[in-house]
Amino acid sequence: MRSDDYFDERAGAGQRISKSLVTLSSTAIVAIYAAGYYRTSAAAHKFDSQTEQRRTVAEVTPAPPPTPENPPAPAEPLGSSSSPAPVVKKNVRKPAAANRKSGSASTESGESPATASGTGANAAAKAAASAQTSYKDGVFLGWGSCRHGDIEASVQIQDGKIVTAAITQCLTRYSCSWISPRVPSPVLPDLPREVVERQSAKVDYVSGATESSYAFADAITAALSKASE
Amino acid sequence: MHSPMPSLRPCPKRASDDIVRTAVRMGTFVTIHVVGAVGHKSQAESPMLREQAVERAFAWFDRVEECCTRFDSASEVMRLAAQAGVPVPVSTLLYEAVQFALAVAEESGGAFDPTVGYAMETRGFNREYRSGREIRTALDCGRPGSYRDVRLDPERKTITLLRPLVIDLGAVAKGLAVDLAARELSPFENFAINAGGDLYLGGRNPDSEPWSIGILHPRSDTELIEAVRVSNRAVCTSGDYEKRSADGGHILDPRTGASAHGVASVTVVAPTAMLADALATAAFVLGPADGIRLFDRLGVDGLIFSIAGSIPGSTPDSSTDTDGVTPDSPALTRYATQAMHEYL
Repeated sequence: MRSDDYFDERAGAGQRISKSLVTLSSTAIVAIYAAGYYRTSAAAHKFDSQTEQRRTVAEVTPAPPPTPENPPAPAEPLGSSSSPAPVVKKNVRKPAAANRKSGSASTESGESPATASGTGANAAAKAAASAQTSYKDGVFLGWGSCRHGDIEASVQIQDGKIVTAAITQCLTRYSCSWISPRVPSPVLPDLPREVVERQSAKVDYVSGATESSYAFADAITAALSKASE
Repeated sequence: MHSPMPSLRPCPKRASDDIVRTAVRMGTFVTIHVVGAVGHKSQAESPMLREQAVERAFAWFDRVEECCTRFDSASEVMRLAAQAGVPVPVSTLLYEAVQFALAVAEESGGAFDPTVGYAMETRGFNREYRSGREIRTALDCGRPGSYRDVRLDPERKTITLLRPLVIDLGAVAKGLAVDLAARELSPFENFAINAGGDLYLGGRNPDSEPWSIGILHPRSDTELIEAVRVSNRAVCTSGDYEKRSADGGHILDPRTGASAHGVASVTVVAPTAMLADALATAAFVLGPADGIRLFDRLGVDGLIFSIAGSIPGSTPDSSTDTDGVTPDSPALTRYATQAMHEYL
């Protein structure tokens, strides 16, 4: 239950909000999830049209309502609609992947026609499909830094997938031994397991991130951004 | 509960059909772990369905980041910053995120304020982690704005900035993404999402027990200071050891524009990660005593470790169930909410 009236009179509204802050966070999640990808996209395009005079870029046409026979192209990131050159990178595998996922995801009703087939579930799946196969093959290096120093990581891409990730240089004041196994991990998902979760027999996960894990993540991200250029 | 971790070895608890995926999202590592069906008859779904759900969960991180990042001038939140004075129709995602951030600001008396974005930028938090390039927003700010300069229209779903502002959803966005991912995975009941130490734990761990979550020691990367056991709860920890600028901690007191001092780490256990993350940030600014009071008032639980003797006029007080100085860390004072012991 959300009280809308506090938007008009902010002063003294704190007491009314206080009991519902927990509820407000939950209803926000439900609202965003229910709206899913296409509805938010549509609002963003409306936003774009308001601001297009400020820019000299080509507008991306909003995707038509998808149909079963004509599955939508993989969702492009919202931000791309205002980038100077909205290039739609297409990988031949993506539409197939998106199609398969939209077929398996449940479709909720109750939204506007434009969103009826665009639940958060299957729309997000398409975004995932487009996000996962866009890397060039090769070995890419990137740097990350924290106040203890710098970390360089390498990422090896094969057939568009990450096959290895490793720390190649560690210029921190402290040893990187705990952050990097001696032998490069076979795949990215196994390496940071030791970095971030740092499992022990006593706990499942650890709350609170270290600077070094941020630095390593930055280095990996920088390397991956080169792989997707 | 103080658990030194001499060796960093993989968790032995995972069943063979668990799905565990890690990827870099929002500047940190995100791990999604869906517990397999063995021993959980309610999780009879096929591995393929689980894999697809994990993919969709990761996609929510992309969606939230592209909407809410300060580090891309084309993101929806940054385009909003360029349009002060006019009602701007925004996505449901941005509207709800901002609405929630404003509610927390109101509730915390401005200790949490999403409009500190510009102050963050001027103090050096302006490096885009992907490219390393600096961002600079051309704003004629005059007097610094506050959350009171943001207006929402719930009917038309518009946001109006009464003055030029940069809205920083950093303390909301990651938690929001965790919560959306958790909703995506809710059919599977038993799962964990770890976004750089911000977690949501669904159901139970592979041993069919509540998830056990270690809290990082704020002064040691290899030790835990505490551990909590939770189920269907978010656990977020904010520490002064995270990203720092040259002149102080990364969490700013919006009321003074200066870094907040005195608190070493704050852990919040709450129904959603978005709430836990935002309240951890607010408590950092409020200090331990007021922070704990805020948690109790809102019905969430939390632990605060402060640097003993560093906070004038903020000594541990008996009403907040303080345990005093912990044996392993004599420099830190521990504060906890009334019901926190249920998780310990």
